[in-house]
Amino acid sequence: MKKIIFTLLAIICSTSALSHGPTPQKVQESVTIAASPAKTWDALKNYSEFNKIMKVRSFKDKTMKIKYELIKTDVPFSDYNAQIRVKKGANDNESIVQWTARFYRTYKLNPPIPEGQDDATAVAAVNKIVGPGLAGFKKSVESK
Amino acid sequence: MVKPKKLSIFNLKNSNIFILTFFLIILYFYFSYDFKVDHVSKAYITNQGDNTVSIVDLETLKKLKTLDVGVAPLGITILQKKKLVFVGNVGTDDISVIDAVNDRLIKTIKLGTAPLSLASNFEETEVYVTDWFKNNVLTISVDEMRVTSSLSVGITPSGIAYNKKYQYQVITNRDANTLEIYDKDHNLVKKIETGNHPFGVYSEGNFAYVANVYDDSVSIISLVDWSKYEFLVGAHPYNVRVHNKVAYVTNTVDDTITIYDLDSKKTIKTLDTGETPENLDLNIKLNLLVVTNWGSDSISIFDTQNFQHIKEIKTGAQSRSFGDFILQ
Repeated sequence: MKKIIFTLLAIICSTSALSHGPTPQKVQESVTIAASPAKTWDALKNYSEFNKIMKVRSFKDKTMKIKYELIKTDVPFSDYNAQIRVKKGANDNESIVQWTARFYRTYKLNPPIPEGQDDATAVAAVNKIVGPGLAGFKKSVESK
Repeated sequence: MVKPKKLSIFNLKNSNIFILTFFLIILYFYFSYDFKVDHVSKAYITNQGDNTVSIVDLETLKKLKTLDVGVAPLGITILQKKKLVFVGNVGTDDISVIDAVNDRLIKTIKLGTAPLSLASNFEETEVYVTDWFKNNVLTISVDEMRVTSSLSVGITPSGIAYNKKYQYQVITNRDANTLEIYDKDHNLVKKIETGNHPFGVYSEGNFAYVANVYDDSVSIISLVDWSKYEFLVGAHPYNVRVHNKVAYVTNTVDDTITIYDLDSKKTIKTLDTGETPENLDLNIKLNLLVVTNWGSDSISIFDTQNFQHIKEIKTGAQSRSFGDFILQ
């Protein structure tokens, strides 16, 4: 009985999630790096790993922000825009790097949404890029 | 003889105090009521990420309250005279109606389809809703608080604006790159091409102003002779507002707003906002411009007299407020 209720609940929850309108999805993650904001910002501007996935659209020294757009095409999300910014940490030798991505699922027409083209798939795919991406950058800065 | 006289004076004084107190109480309520109804200007911010509306007092620039609404609220419009706020929830396919005097949710109107944006007529008897998936514009009767008619329009109806002068409903069709104009009897007046990916729209007097997201431009369309003029703004503009021959445009990818002089046809200033600024509205009386920042979950407030940033206020997750969101 419990199983049936759980299954029913899961179905109700998943269909309500699927019936969402054209809502932009957001993935925002931060990492703390043991380096000064100036050093981290400099490293970010020269970090080539991110350029394999994204192209720099613009950057601003004053606000320590880089804006990216997507270059990869074989991805289960669309209209991707992102920014990575460097902020001051708890002390002078610590900085926080924050990655904010905005994107949509690939299927934009009327529900039902085909499998693999929904919001959840898009979010999962971007999470796989952002999390390891920030971890890799942290390692690169702190090892120098 | 003396004693009763004293007593009567005492009595008279006492009744005077009563009258005076009564009068003062009435005065107090009169003024506090007056203050509450007529003088508080507020911004209503739809937070699509946490299913709430943040209410910000625009005089003190402080957050007053957070209200729970339906799932994934996006579009909004305010009936200034009736003091009602209509919020469109694209996750639950319904409209939350907020009483703006007490800031309480008073009604949920079921639609059965995703409401993208909202606008009301000048008389505030009707609220129009663009229905993104089924390509309709729904009319809600404000008296009856239900959908009373539906009009079939072009594909992906997105932004909607109401033109008071001509009593027009002006709609952008995002994926068709068109603007559709309907009269008060819902007859199509004109369908006209815009730039690429038109989204937010504003209409006043003889013009409609459209933000073309993929062209990084704004189209100005004459409602008289249908002539067009375009000007460039920042990257991925989302919405536009016009006041005193100045256009204000949100550039979502640049994290800026463009302030453009419509007379001299020049950009006056580009100002930094929070992350991913989406929508904007003006408070005429207080000379304020309020911008919703989807990326930084906040609003940015600007002075429209000297074009300076005043303050950023935290709201809720993924603040959007697509439509008119300021109670003047």
